[in-house]
Amino acid sequence: MSAGPYNYSYIFKYIIIGDMGVGKSCLLHQFTEKKFMADCPHTIGVEFGTRIIEVAGQKIKLQIWDTAGQERFRAVTRSYYRGAAGALMVYDITRRSTYNHLSSWLTDARNLTNPNTVIFLIGNKADLDAQRDVTYEEAKQFAEENGLMFVEASAKTGENVEEAFLETAKKIYQNIQDGSLDLNAAESGVQHKPTQPGRTNLNNDSQQNRDNCSC
Amino acid sequence: MEDVLNEICSSEDLKTFELRYNEEMCQGEVSSTTQFEYACFLVRSRYPADIQRGVVLLEELYKRPDETGKRDYVFYLAIGNARLKEYQLALNYVKGLLRIEPANRQVLELEKLIKKRMEKDAMKGAAIAGGAILGLGALVGLGVALAKKH
Repeated sequence: MSAGPYNYSYIFKYIIIGDMGVGKSCLLHQFTEKKFMADCPHTIGVEFGTRIIEVAGQKIKLQIWDTAGQERFRAVTRSYYRGAAGALMVYDITRRSTYNHLSSWLTDARNLTNPNTVIFLIGNKADLDAQRDVTYEEAKQFAEENGLMFVEASAKTGENVEEAFLETAKKIYQNIQDGSLDLNAAESGVQHKPTQPGRTNLNNDSQQNRDNCSC
Repeated sequence: MEDVLNEICSSEDLKTFELRYNEEMCQGEVSSTTQFEYACFLVRSRYPADIQRGVVLLEELYKRPDETGKRDYVFYLAIGNARLKEYQLALNYVKGLLRIEPANRQVLELEKLIKKRMEKDAMKGAAIAGGAILGLGALVGLGVALAKKH
């Protein structure tokens, strides 16, 4: 049952969205490289990152599209939402305007992804508590009202960064297992990569089991 | 594996932005925003002719006076040229960006990706050439063998 270190059974597509300068690229960098990038320039268009993680003993490859927050790229970055299994929506706890714009980001995310896409809200720069402009409680309430998962994190210290990416993957995996996410749907954002034929199939939908299809 | 040099935009998206560009063209003037958006989608097309067109539009944008987005145009020019296998040209654009922002990780990543692509293509070329030599050798060998038989 154990796959080799470079094998994985699923690919999950993620997008990271939110206003300019909230730290999207820094969160990605902290997650993939475990390092903090001080003064990082504005992302041009999109940036791409990957990391293999493990959920319930399954190796999963995360394909992460980190989008530019600048308004001029909005049209371009919108085209990356399609087929995302997870969306990390980021604001900066020290800048209220980035929190106020969340509803617009959420509208985009809801309209451009599928209903099963897991949306995770991240309040970044939690290390700058002295300059806080958005309380934990109000963000928590916003998340609850909109059915989002939520943490405050810090790309600088690494606090809760790993958790946000992993919790999103766990939720997606759970959706696959309980059948609410149909892997055969074109835009589920999940690809199944059966590495070992004959392995127990996690997708219970046996009618659509195409594991051994050689096409 | 997907990356910025091989991911492809949907043809519907491309059509949407083409339409917007053409509409403005008919009215006489295309805004930088519209042209840039259209170019970004063209560069991500599966067809080299589209990518080529995207590159031309980006070059034109770059020449416009008072453009704030030059850095973005150059970045997409590097992507477009790399996708057209114009690796040297692509690397020159990357070099230009690095001259201004030597530590820009996104640009450094793109440089790495282009170089990797370049090596892979060179290897493929060598393999094809090698195969051709092998094939030629086999033909000559066959010729010799047949000649000997006669």
